[in-house]
Amino acid sequence: MSEEVTINHPPKLRIIPPLNFCPVEHQLYRSGQPTIINQSFLKDLNLKTIIWLATEEPQEEFLDYCSINNINLEFVGMMDDYNYNYGSNINPWDTLSDSTIQKSLEIISNKENYPILVCCGMGRHRTGTIIGCLRRLQNWNLASVSEEYRRFTGAKGGRIQVELLIESFDINSIEIDPNMTPDWLLK
Amino acid sequence: MINPGEFSTGDEDILDQRNGHTLPGTFQLEDGCIETSEASESRIIQSEANHLKRNLKQSSPLVPPLNFALVEDRIYRSGFPIPTNYPFLEQLGLKTIIYLGDDDKVKDKSKDKKKDKDKEEKKEKKKEKDSKGDIISKYKAWVETTDIKFHHLIFESSQEPFINEETQDKAKASLKIALELMLDRNNFPMLIHSNKGKHRIGVLVGLMRKLFQGWCLSGIFEEYEKFALGKSEYDLEIIELWQPELTFRKDSKPEFLRT
Repeated sequence: MSEEVTINHPPKLRIIPPLNFCPVEHQLYRSGQPTIINQSFLKDLNLKTIIWLATEEPQEEFLDYCSINNINLEFVGMMDDYNYNYGSNINPWDTLSDSTIQKSLEIISNKENYPILVCCGMGRHRTGTIIGCLRRLQNWNLASVSEEYRRFTGAKGGRIQVELLIESFDINSIEIDPNMTPDWLLK
Repeated sequence: MINPGEFSTGDEDILDQRNGHTLPGTFQLEDGCIETSEASESRIIQSEANHLKRNLKQSSPLVPPLNFALVEDRIYRSGFPIPTNYPFLEQLGLKTIIYLGDDDKVKDKSKDKKKDKDKEEKKEKKKEKDSKGDIISKYKAWVETTDIKFHHLIFESSQEPFINEETQDKAKASLKIALELMLDRNNFPMLIHSNKGKHRIGVLVGLMRKLFQGWCLSGIFEEYEKFALGKSEYDLEIIELWQPELTFRKDSKPEFLRT
């Protein structure tokens, strides 16, 4: 018989999840841009990769945090025509480019990159696009994909452009290597 | 590539493959790159396998239940599953389901007592009850076909400000049972659900975030709000103020538990 333990108070150290944080699948998370106050929370996630979807660079302290903790930061939001294109003329209000979506899903379908956090400034539209396309890859019906996207968009609601992009996304454009893919994506 | 204003469903690709044609864009190599025949053959086989798999998948999309989400590894939350959701649930490989719902038996009795009341109203109520009962009995029949352990715990929905103490105590007793089931990782993968996946499940998840993981309250409320869509009152107070005493076994404690 193993030892019985009683809990009658919350853990002493309170942790603060990043804005719009939510687990998506095993070791795959989504959120807005983490700040210094989320440090203890992030520590428990043990992240290996962060997919950064905003068109601009994240805050300095966040970059430092990633380099100190050996987190691989992927700047896929700045991708343009299959290349990383720093300081390009992509507008923050543009929807994600095909190459950004493709590269993000490639990272997500490789288990060597896990645990992964997918994030952008607020964790709403850009993050929502990637998770939406991932759900399509998982063969979810579109109504449920939209329901999930809107849950994270706040009071202003979803954007029709984002939902169109998710709907029109060609799931056959993503090559999947069954040996490298996480189990939940193969189901 | 797809032109703006139009998109393909992928059906053309399926047709092409059946006719033995090469799919456009699938085996394209970069200019000047020569591939050995052996390597290209294995690539083709690989790629065909992928396409076949996807084509099979495409035939019937999976429909997750209302308000479905991952809470922590191998714990899922949702609203009440209906028959279209069963295939989706089957692929999760669930071991346990916790349903926080109304006490159906009590309600039936009270309806019988009101027998002589307005006939039309009664008819309507009966209709409503039947369709609800139908969904529930279908669901229970589906659970029977699986190896899932099913826990129906009574948690009457809150009707602020008219909360009677007895219902509240009952709800707390149910929440305690649910929380202790969640403290045993032998019960995972687990689905916790209520009717809409908003309030009752929101309270349970909120308590878990506070008691097991030590989330700050504003983070908990933000998460609750996402699923409850602007309707939250008494529920948040229970998350903030209630402190139950819970027991678990050390060797089956879940990974997400912080102390």
